[in-house]
Amino acid sequence: MSEFDVRTTDDGVGVVTPRGRLTMVTARRFREVITELVAAGTTRVVVDLAETTFLDSSALGALVGGLKAARLAGGDLRIARPTPAVLSVFELTNMDRVLRPRDSVEGAFDV
Amino acid sequence: MSDRVTIGAPATPASIELVQTALATLWEQQPGVTARDRMRFETALVEVVGNVVEHAYALDQGTTPGSRQLELEISVDDSTIIALLSDDGRPADIDLGAVTMPDPEAESGRGLALAIAALDDLRYVHADGRNQWTLICVRVRP
Repeated sequence: MSEFDVRTTDDGVGVVTPRGRLTMVTARRFREVITELVAAGTTRVVVDLAETTFLDSSALGALVGGLKAARLAGGDLRIARPTPAVLSVFELTNMDRVLRPRDSVEGAFDV
Repeated sequence: MSDRVTIGAPATPASIELVQTALATLWEQQPGVTARDRMRFETALVEVVGNVVEHAYALDQGTTPGSRQLELEISVDDSTIIALLSDDGRPADIDLGAVTMPDPEAESGRGLALAIAALDDLRYVHADGRNQWTLICVRVRP
């Protein structure tokens, strides 16, 4: 199972940190956490994957949904610090092309 | 050292957790399996179990959720990791040869494409009244 830490930085960027496994068991809640942030006006969101040990296709779908919601609201969604195991899932599905992994949470919106 | 694990469980999302916990135990007993092989096998297995669970809900409308039963056997030897997964539900009507990876903008439809990409071989048949999946990962020598 996974749980989600949510915080907002001084720059107004929302940071969602899923801990543990992110699968169809938790993907729906994960998506809600992102879309609730966006709906509340935090349209720039970083998903910090440093503590995500496993990620499946439903979590990828939730990320795409969150990305679309953020862009529709004039913001964006970035991912940061995936472990090698999680990064391989992005590469196998070509998702690294639309969600390019960033090296840090703080610098995720620099470029 | 155990080289085999079997699980029988209802086809519900909670069973994915059960499968991943059983895999973690198996990996502890098989330290020779590389991190890369563990990850691609677990990725594929979670996707296939997820597919079965989804179809169990989609096809069995009107019946009790979770009434479909999964049977899973995972075995490890020197050259391969194999999972045999079956369930007693209606035929899944899947053509694995027609599965392609959706565009990055798609919000669903990646599961089986990801499983195929992660594995060396994935097979599906409906036989003896059961959906039967075979997942094969050829181990990479460290």
